[in-house]
Amino acid sequence: MAKKILTVDDSPSMRMLLKSALLEQGFEVFEAEDGVDALEKLDGAEPDLVITDINMPRMDGFGLITALRDGRVRSSLPILVLTTEASDEKKARARNAGATGWIVKPFDRDKLGAAIRRVLH
Amino acid sequence: MSLLSSIQPDQMRRVTIAQGHSVASRDLDLVYTTVLGSCVAVCLYDSAARVGGINHFLLADPAPINGESGQLLNRYGIHAMELLINEMIKRGAARDRLRARVYGGGSMRQGLGDIGTQNIAFARRFLANEGIPILGEDVGGTSARRVEFMPAYGRARCKSIQGMVAEQQPVPVSAPCGDVELF
Repeated sequence: MAKKILTVDDSPSMRMLLKSALLEQGFEVFEAEDGVDALEKLDGAEPDLVITDINMPRMDGFGLITALRDGRVRSSLPILVLTTEASDEKKARARNAGATGWIVKPFDRDKLGAAIRRVLH
Repeated sequence: MSLLSSIQPDQMRRVTIAQGHSVASRDLDLVYTTVLGSCVAVCLYDSAARVGGINHFLLADPAPINGESGQLLNRYGIHAMELLINEMIKRGAARDRLRARVYGGGSMRQGLGDIGTQNIAFARRFLANEGIPILGEDVGGTSARRVEFMPAYGRARCKSIQGMVAEQQPVPVSAPCGDVELF
């Protein structure tokens, strides 16, 4: 059965680009436009993986990771950050909040696919 | 007296924006300037936060790699725009208050002409997708342009430049591409 991925990004263009890359690799995709929307979409529909942006209105990626790791989802749910940010300080913040990995935009389809398959085992 | 009328042009700080760069600021004494041939610059402004930003990009459709040249162009363009929007948001702008102006995309010489048109089309398509209204444009044609943008006031000025301007070659929008680090 196809693995289900929740993508969280405030840019419709980026969501579209990411969705086409993920569908092409055989994943199922559902989308949210920021952290608040993601928490609503996750209510009763747990995915196999979350891919989230960092800079978003209402609730950013750090807020979302913290909320998810606060017992809302199974603790083994992988969360990948996909962002234009590349600073060590922000990476450390995401790692401490419970992120599984960090990918810098613009993403490479093959590297993204390989990282996803690795965290999904 | 409005903020703008108190500006002393000769006291403004001028910062030149090179291809591949995306910047934003609230500084009252700052003018961003850039020269465009086939390249496109998008200026964004949030009048409530008084934050303005500009980028300068040239997306070239490279020789098809695995048949995905169009997607590659799209990906780098989206990246150039996202960098700009992030710079704006970091300084207090809100995505739904952003307004845009688009400049450049000239046909500077045979063979590169289509690139300018593609870059204009990309900028318009991206801004429409994101729901960011375009308040003004000065695009296309055959002459180069100099754009001056005062980020704190959202005020842009665009002039045609007569004569020869060294046309730039496309450079990648960002060097590190898709670096992956698993924790």
